[in-house]
Amino acid sequence: MKRLLKGLAGVAGAVALAVGGTASADKEPIKFALLQDFTAVYTFVTSEYNQGQQDYLRLINETGGVEWHPIETIIRDTANEPQRGLEAYNRARREGAVLVDFFSTPVSRAAVNRVLRDEVVMITALHGRGDASHGETFPFVFPMMATYWSQATLLADYIDRHQGGLANKRIALVHIDSPFGREPLPVLQELAQQKGFQLRSFGYPSPGTEQSATWSDVRRYRPDHVIIWGAGGGQQVSVREAIRNGIRPENILSVVWLSETDARNVGGNHMNGVKRFEAVAFGQEPAVIQDILTHVIEPGLGAGPAANVGSSYYNIGVATMAVAVEAARLAIGEFGAPLTGDKLRRGFEMIEGFDARGLMPPVTITATDHQGGGYGRVSQWNGQTWEPLTHWTNAFQDIVWYEIEKDARGFRDGR
Amino acid sequence: MFYRLSGIHHTRYESARALWPVTADRRIILGLLLLALAAPFLLSDLYLTSYMLPWLIWTAAALSLTLLMGIAGQLHFGFAAVMAIGAYTSIHLTRAGVPFELALLGAGLMAALIGCLFGAAALRVKGLYLVMATLAMQYLVEWTIINVPAISGGAQATLSTPDVTFLFVPLQSDGALYYTALLWTVVVTLLIMNIKRSSFGRALVAVRDKDFAASVIGVNPLKYKLLAFFASSFLGGVTGAVLAFCYYQAVTPEQFGFNVSIQLVAMVLVGGLGSVIGAYLGAGFVLLLPIVLTNLLAFVAQFDLIPISFNLLSHIPLMVYGALIIGVILFEPLGLAKIYDNIRKYFLVWPFRHTQS
Repeated sequence: MKRLLKGLAGVAGAVALAVGGTASADKEPIKFALLQDFTAVYTFVTSEYNQGQQDYLRLINETGGVEWHPIETIIRDTANEPQRGLEAYNRARREGAVLVDFFSTPVSRAAVNRVLRDEVVMITALHGRGDASHGETFPFVFPMMATYWSQATLLADYIDRHQGGLANKRIALVHIDSPFGREPLPVLQELAQQKGFQLRSFGYPSPGTEQSATWSDVRRYRPDHVIIWGAGGGQQVSVREAIRNGIRPENILSVVWLSETDARNVGGNHMNGVKRFEAVAFGQEPAVIQDILTHVIEPGLGAGPAANVGSSYYNIGVATMAVAVEAARLAIGEFGAPLTGDKLRRGFEMIEGFDARGLMPPVTITATDHQGGGYGRVSQWNGQTWEPLTHWTNAFQDIVWYEIEKDARGFRDGR
Repeated sequence: MFYRLSGIHHTRYESARALWPVTADRRIILGLLLLALAAPFLLSDLYLTSYMLPWLIWTAAALSLTLLMGIAGQLHFGFAAVMAIGAYTSIHLTRAGVPFELALLGAGLMAALIGCLFGAAALRVKGLYLVMATLAMQYLVEWTIINVPAISGGAQATLSTPDVTFLFVPLQSDGALYYTALLWTVVVTLLIMNIKRSSFGRALVAVRDKDFAASVIGVNPLKYKLLAFFASSFLGGVTGAVLAFCYYQAVTPEQFGFNVSIQLVAMVLVGGLGSVIGAYLGAGFVLLLPIVLTNLLAFVAQFDLIPISFNLLSHIPLMVYGALIIGVILFEPLGLAKIYDNIRKYFLVWPFRHTQS
């Protein structure tokens, strides 16, 4: 029965491809598994992120595929539950997926040992373990964008260079009380020693819808700058509470998870001046997004509402797939088809100075550095859009790599 | 008819009190056990590692909880925390060089100790108030794990399980992991069935039904409530360790969050409070049904019959799942176990209609 169903599914897939008439159906497909959380915790980002990924892959398929190989996606909901993620992963692996993207920290943490054993590439852009940047320890895991440590050092560097220096300042880190919220602490503590500023961390309980007690503590501390570190609904609460407690919006800096939706929810022009770390450019101007508009959205092939195209999280999704497709292209060019997990890994490690035509900072991934340099920039909400304040840059990578190596060593010893 | 009673007469108490006095039941159990033993040879690795293995382990967890909630009547909404204590204790013990067999014991004892501490609240409060006390346990344990890096494993808050052997077999292959989990689940199953027919079990039931009445007939509620918490937390702790070593192979605090506690309570309730077969059915329902529904829908969706967005598509299983839970509870408030019981009773006297009990 199972075999029969599978056969039917195969026939149906073939028919759909033939009828759909994609330009690139003449070589065997490359399978990417996007097994993400559409229904539980990450819903604030997943739908836009996944839409960006699908639209970009559609664009690739519409314009000839990867060296004439079309890309097929396996998309499943995991509800942020490790056991469902692992089931979906095992299934996708059997169907021949060479790349997985869980976009969920608990699931990708549970999957690390398995992808290393099965030789399947796992991308963990802006989630998962920061120490996976250590390529020798985690050969099949690719954070491929700035880790949370690099984001924290970049924000501190911005204060140092553009907001009057770090020395003798009081910096408050207001974070969700979870491993994710505590992640920037070690690098900021190290920086506080080097640069001579005071740092205090203030945790608020998950999920962050109620933070007023924390922020009265923050007010008493009289910080010069506040770094907010949360995700989802808690972020707009943080911004609102910060402003209510007399902190000027210019002095609020955020981790990457702050979007135009949060600005709308904070309301009015209250959020004008708030700054965030940005890993990928915002808006519809980048050339890739323009191509998606012409080839995918206008013919009506988009995977979701056209209004999302160019939003912060949509563009992050596009960027992840742009890097993955570039890696697949390099791997097929160098090692030939069919693409395997190991070939794709080596493809990733050949990426050099790739910026997806201006969508993202130039990324160079090597066998040792899977973070790609830790580049990003600081942008500011001006009421309409996120206005970049700096060029693409990175900061204090020595401190970041000290942490990466320390944790990667712990992972090796723990086995 | 199918569960034939003719020819079964008991001349001794031992035979009347046997676990399965009816021949047909024994045959079914034997058949299921043989199937379970042969599963690694019958099923592909996908179904073995992604369906059977987690199902067995979650069944053991649901059985541990049903001892407390179903048999002893003490509500517990923080059972995932109990399992977390077991998982973290076993990992830290094996990392310190303790053999895995002893680490399992240590996991159980540590969970039982801390479980009893919070269970002590049960001596004073009942019902919804006990729910609050156990909820406090859930959050306190989670908070402690997250905030003490020595427990959670530093900034990444992930601990990989070290390579261990269980009864001289290295826990590496899918088969070894599966048989370890199967062994533990069978042990827990037999234990709970035996508790139910022993004086200990009857004392727990007496406390559940009315604790002061139990006290009048000479059952000390204080002692038995604490014993129930101790036994259940011990089993839960070992199950947590088995879950960590045989299934996740890396533990993080999120794996034992509040939603997991709620899932465990749902398994026990949907399966049928205090029922052993209910724990199996409930764990299957809560754990596997969402996966099956998701895959079923993804299969239907690839025919492109109706154009719906993926976002909606991924929410449909939730709607169906919710409707099914309400359906089960409306159709049979005593849970899936009672549905099986009704079917069994129907066939007991088939083709006649009326059953005695």
